[in-house]
Amino acid sequence: MTLSNVRDLYQQVILEHYKKPKHKGKTTPVHRYQKGHNPSCGDTIELTLRLNETGDTIEDVKFEGEGCAIAMASADLMADVLRGKQIDEALEMVQRFQSMMKGQAEFPKEQRKLNVMQGVAQFPVRIKCANLTWHTLKAALETASSASLEEFISNEKDD
Amino acid sequence: MTLTQEKTLAAQVRTDFPILQQQVNGKPLVYLDNAATSQKPLLVINTLKDYYEQYNSNVHRGVHTLSAKATDAYEAARDKIANFVKAASRQEIVYTRNASEAINLVAYSWGTSNLQKGDEIILSVMEHHSNLIPWQLLAQRTGALLKFVELTETEEFNLGQFQSMVSDRTKLVAVVHVSNTLGCINPIQEIIALAHQYGARVLVDACQSVPHMPINVQQMDCDWLVASGHKMCGPTGIGFLYGKLDLLRSMPPFLGGGEMIADVFLDHATYADLPHKFEAGTPAIAEAIALGAAVDYLTDIGMDKIYAYEAELTEYLFEQLQQIPEIRTYGPQPKVAGLGRAALAAFTASDVHPHDLSTILDQAGVAIRAGHHCTQPLHRYLVAQSTARASLSFYNTREEVDVFITALKEAIEFFGGIFG
Ligand SMILES: Cc1ncc(COP(=O)(O)O)c(C=O)c1O
Repeated sequence: MTLSNVRDLYQQVILEHYKKPKHKGKTTPVHRYQKGHNPSCGDTIELTLRLNETGDTIEDVKFEGEGCAIAMASADLMADVLRGKQIDEALEMVQRFQSMMKGQAEFPKEQRKLNVMQGVAQFPVRIKCANLTWHTLKAALETASSASLEEFISNEKDD
Repeated sequence: MTLTQEKTLAAQVRTDFPILQQQVNGKPLVYLDNAATSQKPLLVINTLKDYYEQYNSNVHRGVHTLSAKATDAYEAARDKIANFVKAASRQEIVYTRNASEAINLVAYSWGTSNLQKGDEIILSVMEHHSNLIPWQLLAQRTGALLKFVELTETEEFNLGQFQSMVSDRTKLVAVVHVSNTLGCINPIQEIIALAHQYGARVLVDACQSVPHMPINVQQMDCDWLVASGHKMCGPTGIGFLYGKLDLLRSMPPFLGGGEMIADVFLDHATYADLPHKFEAGTPAIAEAIALGAAVDYLTDIGMDKIYAYEAELTEYLFEQLQQIPEIRTYGPQPKVAGLGRAALAAFTASDVHPHDLSTILDQAGVAIRAGHHCTQPLHRYLVAQSTARASLSFYNTREEVDVFITALKEAIEFFGGIFG
């Protein structure tokens, strides 16, 4: 089989984040909460965020959910790099990640571990798997409080 | 004496399907997503082409030669479909865009004018969203109640439960003939007979049975039956509703427009006779004619032969799957000689997510489906977030099953390593 292609997608780092995620669970306390899903495939994610006192910096990110290796590894990697990031910065990263999925950007060196997801761009049908967590983060950051967020936001609407 | 090797059905028909002669990701395509949509034989493709090259014209609207020719072909295709499902009359076949539209037609036309608060509609937990949402909407409009038949231990339709559920309050039973996920063949004859004892109407979702086995609506005695052309070697954009003549006659129109009228005045109109009463606007003419060609194609091979060959494939597929310890299949196991279920297998492979499986199989040229296959409530019932599904057709071969199984084992090994 052409496992070499498959290895470009499922890099060792990705498989490790999938197998042993470091950021599964819920933050305490929860300052931001958002559920996201890809309705056509059934993948779901639940993000929780803890912010600093002034509410402009992310102190912790945790996720729960069910999905494929790409979706879950993407969430764990994202949680890894978001700690200590300002909300503005995080929103910029969302944009950068989405551009990277189109093969149009990559991350600078302090966030370069996210670049392992670049291979996904070669598998167009899997891009939405990788994007799910970032799309959900964006919604979490753009809603001011964690009130009444029981609704899923869909990652499949045209932006 | 020389022995002549009898060619398998797939070997005989394979070259009729140009799309199958290609490579995907450098490997010969192994198309195992037939439950989503089937491939089209040359006969169907050429019928579409001939229509547009030689007699494209609107139907029932002109006296010129081309219009007459198009109308004849369009109506001849209806005869073919009527014969194919053994309808008593050609007027019982209404063209729709697909099975979903056919179900919506019944839900709006018959449902809205016949159901009241407290009436009961019985469905099963294995229904495709197409045979669920229209009834949810109808229940919201009328106050009717939805009830759901669950599964037996072997993950089949629970006839006993249905028996205790059906009552004088039951006005409608809408049930899938062959499940697109479990692959079980439901005891449709018994379901219909029971429902009729209580005066309930029965709609059969035959999307996954019409392409794979002989269907006889009169013997079944169903009130309505729906199917989609694209799953039975026909084009997309065309499907049909079968309904008993008197019943269709009693139903008000669904969509209004040209074609479906007799006399039109500014403030009212009278409607065309069946089946045109339900065919508003310019229909999918080429698609209907090509669906007729698909029916010719299937009839030429013989539905008995297709069913028998697919049963052989089913037996082989399940034998192979059973040898992989990580695989859990859904729905009943095939009976002797692969009979008793459809040639499809929905499965999970321990920790490997169906999407990841599907991506790896795609690299081996194997097309399968991963997700919830439009049966989300069933997946919830089975406590499976999603499943992978390989669905076969009469043009698939044992060798293709082998390619699929080898790739599946490699995928499990690839991921198994990391969980090991
Ligand atoms: C059992 C069943 N019912 C209904 C449908 C809906 O068919 P369509 O989308 O062509 O209307 C499908 C196909 O997806 C199906 O498998």
